Amino acid sequence: MSEVDKLQPEEFVLNMGPHHPSTHGVCRFVLKMEGEVIKDVEPVVGYLHRALEKICENRTYAQIIPVTDRFEYCTAMSCNMAFALAVEKLSEMEIPERAQYLRIIMLELNRIASHLIWFGTTALDLGAITPFLYGFREREDILDLFEMTCGQRLTYNYIRVGGVSRDIPEQFVPRCRAFLDKFDACVDDYERLLTENVIFVVRNKDVGVLSPEKAIAWGVSGPALRASGVKHDLRRDDPYCIYDHFDFEIPTCQNGDCYDRYVIRIKEMRESAKIVRQALDKLPDGDTRAKVKMVFKPPAGEVYSRIENSRGEMGMYVISDASSKPVRVKMRGGSFNQLQVIPEIARGHKIADLVAIMASMDVIMPEVDR
Amino acid sequence: MDREQLINYIQDKFAGKIELLECGRVEPFFKIELDFLKEFCLAIRDDATLGMDFLCNIGAVDTGEQFQVVYSVASVKNKIRFDFKIFPDRENPEINSVIDVWPGANWYEREVWELFGINVKGHPMLKRFLLPDDWNQGNPMRKDWDAPDFVRLPEN
Repeated sequence: MSEVDKLQPEEFVLNMGPHHPSTHGVCRFVLKMEGEVIKDVEPVVGYLHRALEKICENRTYAQIIPVTDRFEYCTAMSCNMAFALAVEKLSEMEIPERAQYLRIIMLELNRIASHLIWFGTTALDLGAITPFLYGFREREDILDLFEMTCGQRLTYNYIRVGGVSRDIPEQFVPRCRAFLDKFDACVDDYERLLTENVIFVVRNKDVGVLSPEKAIAWGVSGPALRASGVKHDLRRDDPYCIYDHFDFEIPTCQNGDCYDRYVIRIKEMRESAKIVRQALDKLPDGDTRAKVKMVFKPPAGEVYSRIENSRGEMGMYVISDASSKPVRVKMRGGSFNQLQVIPEIARGHKIADLVAIMASMDVIMPEVDR
Repeated sequence: MDREQLINYIQDKFAGKIELLECGRVEPFFKIELDFLKEFCLAIRDDATLGMDFLCNIGAVDTGEQFQVVYSVASVKNKIRFDFKIFPDRENPEINSVIDVWPGANWYEREVWELFGINVKGHPMLKRFLLPDDWNQGNPMRKDWDAPDFVRLPEN
């Protein structure tokens, strides 16, 4: 029985969602309120449950890649990557160097695109409409780049087991460079809109403070963890692909409040742009995909592989029994833990602060419900 | 700490109580006895050399013959990672909750309970999670579960 069920005379229950615009998908909060103050929160999830893990058990490895696209559609590239990485670890595959660089370019562009969605919707949740338009303007450029590479704008199916599905077209590099050249100035624009905006700062400072100990214990990862002052980034600490070839900073903050989570993501966008630029400079020629058999059967074994996506640690736990279909695929997304910790940090705040907390955690529901 | 050192360290520390499984070729996999789970979790979290403070994932598995529950743990400060498994009874599956060790285990255990029908002893809130509130069609992630409208095509 949850705490919400046991009410004191002055308390009441308020239902928020599942179609509340600030819940980024369909998440319901059952709030126990005392006046304006939140006494307890119970997130109710499952509205977007599509049984992806069950579907994966009846698909071949090649067919699962597009299923993973739907796992976390804001950064579908990293879902592809997480699954491909798990299978490659199982089959000890060598990936051509060009494919490695293309992967990095796509992953980091996708991270920027995802942070731009977060930037727009966060501001929208807090009552500012302009940043939304700004953020989606630059995101459009990135989606155009993806579209000319793989034909899709949201669910890419681009990173495959053994490499990537196809080489980038000729115009990709100049257009990507043109985008990167203007992007830093765009981030400056974003910062001018929000970073010192009095309303925004007051709504976010000292709201939803998450201590580093609590963050680690609750499994919070990614920007939300780094905002609490823990310098943990899987791109550095558990390197995958070729992230150790690049030079980039891992920004951290100290307070762990909503404002710090905003600052971290803004800084991360700049770092990602830096990585993409380095990857474009070093991009080698060669194959884009290792030789993979038409009927692909990885050797029996189990692996949990994890990568750093824009919402934290994304893991894929894959069991192979040397047949063409996996025995089990378990997907782990950063949002799952970030949503779980919200009751811990929302108690004692007002409803409007819960909106700010939800926005700053950057939770999206498909990743929680799967 | 590299893979060999990690395996040796854990095997020395918990000599006789754990077993190294073959399935983990990339990162080490250990087998834990059902009753030893909580003690083991506390020990690896509080050990200074290991310090497994971060629970990455809990995933249950139904291989068709047996249930497994797999815990993937990591250490943020020592940058190590490994997995361990327990094997609940197929007929009457029951595991102990590890919420006291890692509070983040809460929802993972709810999921294990709901989708696999593995009872989690000591969990404060076992109620419908991902499935609809009025769900009464069993535990869909079990291998012997078929959807009501599922038709199996004959092989070839």
